[in-house]
Amino acid sequence: MTQVLAARAGRITPEMEMVAKRENIDVEVIQAGLAAGTIVIPRNIRRKEFNYCGIGQGLRIKVNTLIGTSSDRDDMEMEARKLAIAEEMGADAVMDLSTGGDIDAMRRQTLSRANVAVGSVPIYQCGIEAIEKRGSIVAMTEDDIFEAIEKHAAEGVDFMAIHCALNFDVIKRLKNTGRVTDVVSRGGAFLTGWMLHNNKENPLYEEFDRLLEILKRYDVTLSLGDAIRPGSTADSMDGAQIQGMIIGGELVARAREAGVQIMVEGPGHVPMHHVKATMLLQKRLCNGAPYFVLGTLATDVAPGYDHITSAIGAAIGGTAGADFICNVTPAEHLGLPTEQDIKDGIIAARIAAHAADLAKGNKQAMAMDLRMARARVALDLDRQISLSIDPKLAKTSSGNGEAGHCCAVCGPQCAAQVAARFFGIA
Amino acid sequence: MTQRTEALAGTITPAMAQVAQKEGVPPDVVRQGVAEGTIVIPCNNRRNSSVFTGIGTGLRTKVSASVGLYGDGAAIGVEVQKIRTAIAAGADSIMDLSVSGDIDSMRGQTLAAATTPVGTLPLYQAIAEAAVRRGSPVNMTVDDLFEVIERQAADGVDFLALHSGTTMDIVQRAKNEGRIDPLVSYGGSHLIGWMIHNQKENPLYEQYDRLLEIARKYDVTISLADGMRPGCVADSLDGAQVHELVILGELVRRAREAGVQIMVKGPGHVPLNHIEATVTLQKSLCKGAPYFVFGPVVTDIAAGYDHISGAIGGAIAAWAGAELICYVTAAEHLGIPDVAQVHEGVIAARIGAHAADLAKGLKGAREWDLQLSRARKNLDWKTQLALAIDPGRATELRKQRSEESSSACAMCGKYCAMKVVSQYLGASGRSC
Repeated sequence: MTQVLAARAGRITPEMEMVAKRENIDVEVIQAGLAAGTIVIPRNIRRKEFNYCGIGQGLRIKVNTLIGTSSDRDDMEMEARKLAIAEEMGADAVMDLSTGGDIDAMRRQTLSRANVAVGSVPIYQCGIEAIEKRGSIVAMTEDDIFEAIEKHAAEGVDFMAIHCALNFDVIKRLKNTGRVTDVVSRGGAFLTGWMLHNNKENPLYEEFDRLLEILKRYDVTLSLGDAIRPGSTADSMDGAQIQGMIIGGELVARAREAGVQIMVEGPGHVPMHHVKATMLLQKRLCNGAPYFVLGTLATDVAPGYDHITSAIGAAIGGTAGADFICNVTPAEHLGLPTEQDIKDGIIAARIAAHAADLAKGNKQAMAMDLRMARARVALDLDRQISLSIDPKLAKTSSGNGEAGHCCAVCGPQCAAQVAARFFGIA
Repeated sequence: MTQRTEALAGTITPAMAQVAQKEGVPPDVVRQGVAEGTIVIPCNNRRNSSVFTGIGTGLRTKVSASVGLYGDGAAIGVEVQKIRTAIAAGADSIMDLSVSGDIDSMRGQTLAAATTPVGTLPLYQAIAEAAVRRGSPVNMTVDDLFEVIERQAADGVDFLALHSGTTMDIVQRAKNEGRIDPLVSYGGSHLIGWMIHNQKENPLYEQYDRLLEIARKYDVTISLADGMRPGCVADSLDGAQVHELVILGELVRRAREAGVQIMVKGPGHVPLNHIEATVTLQKSLCKGAPYFVFGPVVTDIAAGYDHISGAIGGAIAAWAGAELICYVTAAEHLGIPDVAQVHEGVIAARIGAHAADLAKGLKGAREWDLQLSRARKNLDWKTQLALAIDPGRATELRKQRSEESSSACAMCGKYCAMKVVSQYLGASGRSC
């Protein structure tokens, strides 16, 4: 039985209980959200117990990070270290996007070591195996795709990005729109290439029921891949993207009917004035399904700093309804992220998520800031460090600043000290 | 004559003409903005500037970087290096906020090194000098304070930050309403201490006309500082802050009447859901005067990463109408920024500023994004890196993160999405 079917049957599962406890809200709220489809708890029935996280309306915004081998760097040990960093830095979920070396072994390593929800993109492995076995991505068969998905599901992957909301209607819109950066989603690109070459509809769209059956069996949460996300601010909210969103909405309804947990993936490069409308449209068209966004990046011009452009977009997106933020690292658009990049990416996404939680009046978030403000007024440096988003960094970088209400300048009769006494905080 | 009185007289000065040319707007739009007070061009008539920067409505969002001597470890040479770094990274103005050491020499070096408008906060020097000469800042006389203001203006400083709105009423309000952090601004805290110790009203408020005279004489732009800027998100938009903003609005009107250029400084720590309202309030109360905001940072807990928190707040504030963003560095709340943190701080603020210009539809902003994205689509690395907001950093990162790559971009390796699709959509499948 999936979490959503359990919720509809009026059952409270241990997963719901853990999420309720971590969010400090009533478990009935979680149950109702799951039943309505506004909350998901990714948790494959085959997976070990871990720190479940709820994603969706009324909950703290969650942060996802990406790890994985590639054709250019196949170092499973390094990916294991990234996973450890991700958990230490507070990522709520990790996606293993491996495309190089022993992809199966890499995924098993991630699943066994991670204490958070684990996601994957089966089409990557499928496409790469098609190149190896059949000479090209376009030679991949429908069965290859579904077999890869079933394999990932049977091994315990909690959520999968699958690009079902891509069909010939969307590609037609794409051609007519005349995009600047066409398709920037790698999974979307594999499928687009496959469809155009074989002149066949996307099997993940056409055989959606077959997919739902697999996902339901293992309670895999479907994360509808955004094959058509804008890769430049100029492409944001064009006909192709919106067409994909409309189709996504139809698929959300079908997944819910089938008792499968579903969330929807979103952009990408979005100028700030499009963010709120994008979130609103997604929520409306997908009937309140949790929204999982990559960024969003507020501009195209900052390679090397896309953790910052994304933090800007994610903060606004989170305020406007995004529930799950995929971090973007400083290496985005330039190369493969290092361990430090992963750390910087997660922290930036967490700052954005937290800022949005604060803006939405989340009580846990507000209490965190208040504790920090009081520690600052009390000049309690140790507490300030422990309350920081990255206590280790705060500890190593603090020191050369002011230590009290007064500094070296004034001497004993410090004017700021006079003011502090007046306010009763000296 | 000040830029403002010239503008009111219908004259387009060389400064206005240059600003118009750089911004790509008609000169009379700039003149009209200066006349209405929605644009300022900080340029002290003693400084002989040849580079002019406009700040205000309809212009590109600007970024300011702060440096200065602070404590025993500070050295003028290092601060000058920070100035050069900030300007190379694209800072549009520099503030020398020295609070100790040889403040006069530092200011001289700043004015010599900076090719941008320079701002200072004279109260800092007045405090430091009173500590030495009179034993404590609380013994500073009003004349001491005005002497320093005039000295800095005569040296050629383009804009002066002055806490004229922090009145006794406001201090009392902050106390009564139980502000969590009433002492956020360094200058504000000392000024409040002085007022309480001496039981006297703020001289920068009481003798505001005296201030305006100095400002008019040198065409110094006043930057009204806020002693009650929120120092934690819980204090944002409280009575003390808003009361001060009401007063600042009155002071804006008086400066404009006196022919003095003026802008208003603001937050601070502001939660996301308060930013637009904060800017709207400032614009309404201060009748469209340019808004110079510090950050704002959008949470209290991001110590070590406040440049990111500040980029988020700065982007939204600028989108809502703030025109000058004071950078926040990663050292904020922890210490004094080093050269690398200054560089990073300027870039982060510029990202926020540009994102805002893009959202506002400012001419040129969209084109920059478009050019870079076209280069990205064409896998034209040379153009991509040259157009990056920090070409040096982008080039270095690409080299480091893609060096072991067999294809030229390690991000997707052999499986580049752009290449796969280009084959089928008839675009050129150029390899990177």
